[in-house]
Amino acid sequence: MKIGKGISLLGIVTLGLVSCSEAGPVAIEFNKDQCDNCKMVIEKAGYASELVTSKGKVYKFDDIKCMHMFEGDNEELAQNAKTYVTDFKTSQFIEESKATLVQGGAIKSPMGGDTQAFANKADAEEAAKKLGASLK
Amino acid sequence: MWKYLLLFLPYLSFAHIIEVGKNKPYQSIKMAIAKAKSGDTIFVDGGHYKEGNINLTKSITLLGRNRPVLDGEMKYEILSFRANKIVVKGFKIINSGKDEVRNIGAVRLYDSQFSVIENNIFENNFFGITMQRGYKCLIKNNKITTKRGNRKSEESIGDGIHVWLSNEVWIINNYLEGNKDGIYLEKVKNTYVAGNYSTKNLRYGLHFMFSNDNVYHNNVFSDNNAGVAVMYSMNVGMSKNKFINNWGDGAYGLLLKEISFSKIKDNIFENNTTAIFMDGATKIDLFKNKVKNNGWGVKVNSNCIENRFNQNTFEGNTFDMSTNGSLVLNTFHQNYWDKYQGYDLNKDGIGDIPYHPLSLYAVLAEKYPSVMLLFRSFIVDLMDKTEKIIPSLTPEDFVDQQPLMKPIKS
Repeated sequence: MKIGKGISLLGIVTLGLVSCSEAGPVAIEFNKDQCDNCKMVIEKAGYASELVTSKGKVYKFDDIKCMHMFEGDNEELAQNAKTYVTDFKTSQFIEESKATLVQGGAIKSPMGGDTQAFANKADAEEAAKKLGASLK
Repeated sequence: MWKYLLLFLPYLSFAHIIEVGKNKPYQSIKMAIAKAKSGDTIFVDGGHYKEGNINLTKSITLLGRNRPVLDGEMKYEILSFRANKIVVKGFKIINSGKDEVRNIGAVRLYDSQFSVIENNIFENNFFGITMQRGYKCLIKNNKITTKRGNRKSEESIGDGIHVWLSNEVWIINNYLEGNKDGIYLEKVKNTYVAGNYSTKNLRYGLHFMFSNDNVYHNNVFSDNNAGVAVMYSMNVGMSKNKFINNWGDGAYGLLLKEISFSKIKDNIFENNTTAIFMDGATKIDLFKNKVKNNGWGVKVNSNCIENRFNQNTFEGNTFDMSTNGSLVLNTFHQNYWDKYQGYDLNKDGIGDIPYHPLSLYAVLAEKYPSVMLLFRSFIVDLMDKTEKIIPSLTPEDFVDQQPLMKPIKS
């Protein structure tokens, strides 16, 4: 059992090294980071999304649909987690609950979720009109 | 023999040859096409042709002599196939336009059947060849390269060959470099991809998405973000391919995601960060593969079920195996592991004690990546040795009961 103890100690030390960051969205390195659901490389800034668990672990996605699929598959992790989407106009992360989502029409997102998010409702309406999409 | 001649007689008797060039009856390809009937052959002499979009609505054979250049001036989709049995050979097709929504490329096939694209050079296009609803088409001996996006793709670039919703497409002996995906197959069936060289693409060398019943054979995938990604597909045959030098943070030789009922045989995986990554892969046979000098040999997530690893060779990998859980529902049988330290008293070529390919350190590194700091240190050696004597963390079922003493010769 001594080994077990040693390992857990090692674990604690390394965890200490890894964690200690404030919970919130983390910048995505495009063309390098992978979507945690579909494993594809994240490329398009406008569609990227993130899920931050209550413990502060960040999961990155290339499509809002991927995030929702991940939430459904990992209910334990998704409990009390915060979800972030990118404002399509500025490519800044915003909380999903505060965003207006636009879906369908001519929108083409990496994994076929075909959803864009906007911080500003007026922007969303304008984009929806332009792309033939509908507000969600 | 003459029976076949009779078969072709109607074509021979009514087909015409039309020539395009500086000193030829027609100066522009578009005019020649407007004049041509289905079944005609158009010869195009060398030169620089800026004719915007050339729309092919008849079954025409377009042959380039001295490699004429078709220039899209960064504005147009250059060739549009809108009929069956179109042949395009011997051209250099450059500078296609760019449109994210319509995915325009240098050559696009709309519902085209029995068409051939052969011996062409594609340079600096957004997409090289895009095909939708194709049937029995051949893409052979093309060179598709692009430098758009500067290998960073702030301005995103397209795929070399992009096939969507098609059946029985043959993609043979092409060279693909610098595209997003070298070859991308989405909802494609019964397709044969062979002899291609796909290198330095931004994302994957070859990418299957929702594509069942396909085979790829004898291709080389080097220096891509991932050599090949097979996702959400069933029944894909993979044999005699080379996956080499796919290095980088999230780079893989072969990436399997939600795939089932497939065979991976006689492939070579060399110098990849991770040779094979399996997530949600079920009922796959890995047979006689060489996994050499990779960071990780095979990463099998614990959601992979009923995969069989038989007679593979694992040599010089930092870690042969890695997994992220304690559940093991895969079998390992008669593989060669260079880290095996057992003996063979009855000289039947099979080690007498079972081999556990999963080291404790690999398990720890998977859970806590920063443990990599201790790589090759004395502590790690000690840990692995102790784990061998008193297993405490590595799953017990992760075992090859009959490890081979010598690598398999191929």
